[in-house]
Amino acid sequence: MATTAVPTHAAPHAATAYDEHSGIWSWLTTVDHKRIGVLYLFTALSFFVIGGLEAEIIRLQLQGPNGHVVSAELYNQLFTMHGTTMIFLAVMPLSAAFFNFLIPLQIGARDVAFPRLNAFSYWVYLFGGIFITLPILFNVAPNGGWFGYAPLTTKPFAPGLNIDFWVIGLQILGVSSLAAAFNFITTIINLRAPGMTLMRMPMFTWMSFVVQFLLVLAFPVITIALVFLLFDRFFGTQFYEIAAGADPLLWQHLFWIFGHPEVYILVLPAFGLVSEVLPTFSRKPLFGYPVMVYSGMLIGVLGFGVWAHHMFAVGMGPIGDSVFSLVTMLIAIPTGVKIFNWIATMVQGQVRLTTSMMFGIGLIGLFTIGGISGVMHSSPPADLQQTDTYFIVAHFHYVLFGGSIMGIFAGIYLYFPKITGRLMNESLGKIHFWVNFVGMNLTFFPMHFSGMLGMPRRIYTYDSGQGWDTFNLESSIGAYILAIATLVFIYNFLTSRKRGEIAGPNPWGAGTLEWSIPSPPPEYNFAVLPTVTSRYPLWEGDERDAESARINSQEGKTADELHIVLPYSTIKPMIVAGSMVIMFCGLIFARPLIFIGAASMVASLYSWLLSPLEPEHH
Amino acid sequence: MKGNSRLRQILAPGLIIMLGLAFAAGAQTYPNTTFQPHSELGRAIDFLWNRLLLLGTIVFVLVEGALIYVVFRYRRTGRETSKPPQTHGHAVLEVIWTMIPAFILLFIAVPTVKIIFQTQAKVAAGALEIEVIGHQWWWEFRYPQYKITTANEIYLPVGRTVNFKLNSNDVIHSFWTPQLGGKRDVIANRTNYIWYTPDSTMKSAVWNGFCTEYCGTSHAKMRFRVFTVQPAEFASWVAGQQKPAAYGATVASLPAGQATAPAGGEPKTSGTGAEGGRSVAIERPRGAFVPGADTIAAPSPTSGVQLASLPAGYTFPRNVAEFDYAKPHTPIPADMNFTKGLTGSAARGMQTYSSAACIGCHAIAGNPSSVGNVGPNLTHIGSRATLGAGSFPNTPAYLALWIKNARKMKPGILMPTLGLNEYDPQLKKPVEKAMGGLDDQQIADIVAYLSSLK
Repeated sequence: MATTAVPTHAAPHAATAYDEHSGIWSWLTTVDHKRIGVLYLFTALSFFVIGGLEAEIIRLQLQGPNGHVVSAELYNQLFTMHGTTMIFLAVMPLSAAFFNFLIPLQIGARDVAFPRLNAFSYWVYLFGGIFITLPILFNVAPNGGWFGYAPLTTKPFAPGLNIDFWVIGLQILGVSSLAAAFNFITTIINLRAPGMTLMRMPMFTWMSFVVQFLLVLAFPVITIALVFLLFDRFFGTQFYEIAAGADPLLWQHLFWIFGHPEVYILVLPAFGLVSEVLPTFSRKPLFGYPVMVYSGMLIGVLGFGVWAHHMFAVGMGPIGDSVFSLVTMLIAIPTGVKIFNWIATMVQGQVRLTTSMMFGIGLIGLFTIGGISGVMHSSPPADLQQTDTYFIVAHFHYVLFGGSIMGIFAGIYLYFPKITGRLMNESLGKIHFWVNFVGMNLTFFPMHFSGMLGMPRRIYTYDSGQGWDTFNLESSIGAYILAIATLVFIYNFLTSRKRGEIAGPNPWGAGTLEWSIPSPPPEYNFAVLPTVTSRYPLWEGDERDAESARINSQEGKTADELHIVLPYSTIKPMIVAGSMVIMFCGLIFARPLIFIGAASMVASLYSWLLSPLEPEHH
Repeated sequence: MKGNSRLRQILAPGLIIMLGLAFAAGAQTYPNTTFQPHSELGRAIDFLWNRLLLLGTIVFVLVEGALIYVVFRYRRTGRETSKPPQTHGHAVLEVIWTMIPAFILLFIAVPTVKIIFQTQAKVAAGALEIEVIGHQWWWEFRYPQYKITTANEIYLPVGRTVNFKLNSNDVIHSFWTPQLGGKRDVIANRTNYIWYTPDSTMKSAVWNGFCTEYCGTSHAKMRFRVFTVQPAEFASWVAGQQKPAAYGATVASLPAGQATAPAGGEPKTSGTGAEGGRSVAIERPRGAFVPGADTIAAPSPTSGVQLASLPAGYTFPRNVAEFDYAKPHTPIPADMNFTKGLTGSAARGMQTYSSAACIGCHAIAGNPSSVGNVGPNLTHIGSRATLGAGSFPNTPAYLALWIKNARKMKPGILMPTLGLNEYDPQLKKPVEKAMGGLDDQQIADIVAYLSSLK
């Protein structure tokens, strides 16, 4: 393994950064962006497993015609929660894990702009995730689909608690996403190290930056849609009540104005990660950096102008259909540019097929398939045969599994040594990649066929003799193979944490700032704030880059010895988050909880705001 | 050579998948395929699809080919003596590969917009009008030009443009017959349209239709059938559907007191007898439906069929092997039973029906007490091929079980569990006499009555 020279005294420190304060209390009170990133990572991976289990039950049910593993009611809860879990509780927070861990390291900062707000975001996410996940154990999980179309989710058609959990759960999770987004925008704008101009920022930070703006602009729209629904359900308003003459398309427009940017919220961080992986393992700078930045921004902007391509069957009329069709096709252009530039990055490089690189290359190959099928349903007449069939299920799993998840795995294998100080096992990693690759394609490729051969989505059963049996059996076998792949990954992840090879600061010979500091990084990240003179300070920087990298990589001193002021640990963000969730619980369980939660939230927030962030500077 | 073995490692799984799919393609037929359209709308879509598939395949091969080539061409050998050239980009190249996708998209965008306007133009005059009303989880179909109301089955004459006017009674549904054209959402407080012309050269056939917008618990069982028939057959079907129920005359002649007997009462013996007409023996069907004694030969070649040659009341023949895909094969739940050997009396059944909860939801033209409008119109229920929106074959055996406990056969539905002492999965308790529970003999009678409504 190409470990760069590790100073001998650094090795014993490799695993100590967290050992010094590894008690539960230290995790509950931490405001360190790296530890919060680790919390995000473990929580999101847990939800990824839960969402995966839900998918496995779905595939068991659909393995053959007229399956009856679960009831119709439970099946509908499972597919709703599979989507909701994977989007809001697994992929977004996995991205957030990387935002947290990486952004300050990549821009040369000692923490995020608002460390306590960062902790608050995490706790809101955890409590909100538990809130929305637990009901499935009591057969009252949300059952209106992750898209929750009104009027199916209004009281007359969904009188139970199921949709209440969904509406409130998503509101809670929205608070987390918005708080985090503002935090990262402020961090990226204000905390960059000297010389870290915007056009020198690593591509992951750039794509994350774009995503934070998408979050800030898209989440208020779903929040409004959800507030309307919440008021309809709890307080008798009639935004979506068809009996009162409501137009059911109001929800769809609001939802997809959020929902389509959400797709880019899910996939752009993975694009960012792959844009780190490919240069690292080709030993070449990213090809066409400025174009990659602009195409990411363009995808983000256009992403707000295409929402109605989810609605080509609702009867918008020929002009609406045409406009949304053409703008949707336009998105293929910046996306195509990204793919070509990634491939060009490897041209003339020295390509090392590490596990991380294989997942990165896998993303290019598989996302391309999802992109091509995406263009296929950008054409509204063609989409009238495709929408709401398994063809769409195939498409967006190639985008979200082939894109987001492959990118996130590439990122995990790349950054695991930075996070833990130890390398993941490469042999197990490659087994993981290949089993995952076969399982992924076997699960989702046949869905193109079952869809175009007439199989609708979201059906809990289908009759025999429809020509779908073989494809569904293939998909189910593929899903079981994916389960095996995930088990290999979990085993590798957990054992490598304890027994993996010691990594050293820069095991891959990468070029960006985060690789100039020890693995795992000390609490303060950088002993001296670096001065940045290029996009790849460790590859092509001048003496100033080299000098700060030399100091930072060898530093074994504590923050006190270096006179670096760090924020106090505090439990208050968690109490505020918990109080907020109790307040929301009051809507469902007992109204007095609303007041108890609100009072506790205000009191703890007041206390939080009055307590100093960090010791006074000397 | 190491590179080559790696290449095989990558290609092998792909090949296995492709072979598996090719095998699958040869082994089955695809009754709901979108690739063999039978209308001008379907063909317009298919034209776009073929172009999208062609261009998509070219892009796929080029991009994946380039990716695989580059990965293997530039793999690190370990013998490199210096780091690779540190290129940062190439303006000309990047402009070129920005233009290529834009250029390809032109070949998609132009026909797309053309076909959007073409297929959403105002429908030609003289089209057959059909009002589609979506309900959780069944379809109401009305032919305003012929004053027909039916459910879950559409008859269309080939060669005549049909304009569907779509509305929902509750949540959003979507109306789709894959072989005949694209789908269109069915939305409350909003009227949508979709029109197409079943090919005039087509022989009479039946197609599966589906609800494709998730609409709640039994979304999966909101299916329908479309029968594209010859104009003469259509005319005959219309004439049959326009008549009031076959038993209407009998109902009208009954003393009023009997037609309004108390709900759940013992079957009346008076007024039943020889004039009760058809009786039907009922047994629990075993597992999936097996083509039985009522098999009818496939429709004869239709050329030369004269309008006058067909008496009123044509229905598409059931149990044609070729159209087996349109016959439900869903097994009934294992814990459902029906007393063997019962013989139902249609006349008694009519009385029981007319005094039971049925009339609160169902309408039968010709039965003055049955005017409910919540459930499907049953005027010609005996002429329909399926029950429960395409969920089960419409045979006496299935119908009896359906009346006894429909909620076990199709979860979540409004149709109540009616069998005495049957467990109602929604109320979570057995049905009692006071709730209108019917014993098996009463149900057998109702089945005899409904089955006679051809």
